[in-house]
Amino acid sequence: MNIVVFVKQVPDVPNIRIDEQRMTIIREGVESIINPLDCVALQASLELREREGGCITVISMGPPQSEEALREALAAGADQAILLTDSAFAGADTLATSHVLAMAVSKLQPFPDLLLCGMQTIDSDTGHVGPQIAEELDLPQVCGVNEIHMDGHLLVLKRLSEGFLDTIRVPLPALLTVSKDLCPVKNLSLGAVEAAFSQKDIIRWAAHDLGLQPDEVGLKGSATHVRKLRPPADRTGGRIVTGSPQFIVDALIHKLESMSILDEEDGNE
Amino acid sequence: MNKTFGGVWIFGDYRDYFQNRITLQLIAKGRELAETLNTGTTVVLLGDQIHQYAMEYVAHGADTVIVADHQNLKEYEVEKYTTLLAQWVKSYQPEIFLAGATSFGREFFPRLAKRLRTGLSADCVDLEVDPESFLLVQTTPAFGGELLAEVVTPDRRPQMATVHPGVFRELPHNAESVGHIIYPEVDVFPEPRVKIVRSKPQRTGKVSLEDASVVIAGGKGLGSKEQFELLYELAELLEGEVGATRPAVLSGWAGEDRLLGQTGKSVNAKLVISIGTSGALQYITGIQGAETVIAINRNPDAPVFRIVDLGLVADAATVLPILLETLRRRL
Ligand SMILES: Cc1cc2nc3c(=O)[nH]c(=O)nc-3n(C[C@H](O)[C@H](O)[C@H](O)COP(=O)(O)OP(=O)(O)OC[C@H]3O[C@@H](n4cnc5c(N)ncnc54)[C@H](O)[C@@H]3O)c2cc1C
Ligand SMILES: Nc1ncnc2c1ncn2[C@@H]1O[C@H](COP(=O)(O)O)[C@@H](O)[C@H]1O
Repeated sequence: MNIVVFVKQVPDVPNIRIDEQRMTIIREGVESIINPLDCVALQASLELREREGGCITVISMGPPQSEEALREALAAGADQAILLTDSAFAGADTLATSHVLAMAVSKLQPFPDLLLCGMQTIDSDTGHVGPQIAEELDLPQVCGVNEIHMDGHLLVLKRLSEGFLDTIRVPLPALLTVSKDLCPVKNLSLGAVEAAFSQKDIIRWAAHDLGLQPDEVGLKGSATHVRKLRPPADRTGGRIVTGSPQFIVDALIHKLESMSILDEEDGNE
Repeated sequence: MNKTFGGVWIFGDYRDYFQNRITLQLIAKGRELAETLNTGTTVVLLGDQIHQYAMEYVAHGADTVIVADHQNLKEYEVEKYTTLLAQWVKSYQPEIFLAGATSFGREFFPRLAKRLRTGLSADCVDLEVDPESFLLVQTTPAFGGELLAEVVTPDRRPQMATVHPGVFRELPHNAESVGHIIYPEVDVFPEPRVKIVRSKPQRTGKVSLEDASVVIAGGKGLGSKEQFELLYELAELLEGEVGATRPAVLSGWAGEDRLLGQTGKSVNAKLVISIGTSGALQYITGIQGAETVIAINRNPDAPVFRIVDLGLVADAATVLPILLETLRRRL
């Protein structure tokens, strides 16, 4: 079974800081990591290869330093890595991103049996890219998978959807997005050390290698525009109370009374 | 503009109707948007024997409901739904198309947007029409919610968005409302490749945070499972439900079904008491629907204090036992 895993390099979001003046994120000093759910997808592909044989290709679209993510994936056991990098790709929304990723897949010989994405990324957090690759390649898709089995040439999957546990059958080739419950991730960052020494070469494709025109990719090929970034609006008028524990409790009780969540007390007991 | 068909479309997500209020919330918001655009609000509804939902949507404010009622559409299936809705969009040409950011909404809307070669924003927490450009401004959390991004789709149509459940309020049911319900002819679809062989409800217990009028929410600052357990007692005394932040869920202090926030549930409560939570935006998204927010945090600079009605600077471990004792005495 030939598997493609899509990985994106993202800033370690919980550690980012905001430049309040310019409303941008400060990337300096923030580590870049492989999107956590993409690590789950990669781990799942390693387990599937163990059982079914085949070859794992990892693909990433991003700036040149995304190479680090691919080296880590190679160190973790992927067979081949492709970096899609071109200044024309910058500023892509999910429509344009999925186009570049899908075009890269259609260049692969033979066409892969299984395509794996994370269910979402931690920086843009849309979860759109997987289904949009599937649409462009006319593949069936299942999102948020937390179990994968093979039954002959069919995939048998489980996923949770709005409080329902679905059991699903789907023929190959197919695209799946994986949830964090699919499998525990072994420590990939250990691999990062090995990655520095990885002998394998990374394949690099730019727009012209994929037969793409500049207006189909990046900002120009995007349908959406980020007009503005802003901080979340604050509620105002809140009263802040400090004092002894008893004073704090009294303030709280008083508020509950004024909201009629507690009945007023008669005073003298 | 043709008021009958309506330029603002809403995907009719009726599964688990009594829990899942997103469609009604979107109709209410859709009406606001439609008014600015001088058009109407239309729900598109796909399924098998679903007439009763069409009536419900009219009673909750839809001007039009377009229904595909066919035994072949019984299950929520991405491929069929995408094919049918892409056809309808091409023939009716709505300006705006919204769906709830439910599991299904987030699975099939990207595919539909791609087929229509248009833009889509994910899990929006606000929507409005820009009074100058008449574009739909789609506000969506970025960088894990540290910032909000205002996204527009300048040229392509429809302007599509999925919307976080619970951020808008539904309109009351009004049996007198009048609307059109239309049934265009529906083709028969080829069998989809993805076959759902079984769909088992997984509801564990009955935690309905969305409907609770008092929610006691706990975070990492509670420090231990034992401390967190005190919240259940507090919730019982105030007839509320317990919610949790992601770190509290990850520590195993509460089940995933209690998670509040961008990746969890949103409340509609009268009161939220948020204890030992820093107030990250991803979490705040889940509690901002509350009428009143009270927070207890020992750090006076905790961001959570920026959104509260009453902020109590205190150590939860000290205050909780006194509070419980006081309430027990009174009730
Ligand atoms: C993509 C993404 C999605 C996310 N989605 C969600 C989500 O849906 N829901 C969610 O909750 N989080 C979500 N998060 C995580 C979120 O960013 C925060 O990390 C989280 O909400 C913080 O939880 P917390 O307030 O419990 O913990 P902390 O941030 O650790 O805050 C603990 C607070 O407790 C206070 N404290 C400590 N000791 C005491 C004491 N004894 N008494 C009183 N106060 C005390 C501290 O001052 C501190 O403010 C998401 C993150 C990302 C990146
Ligand atoms: N630039 C990219 N390169 C490779 N894979 C990506 C890229 N962007 C998104 N993906 C894949 O699509 C998934 C969902 O991303 P998103 O739609 O951005 O939340 C990710 O988990 C990745 O598997």
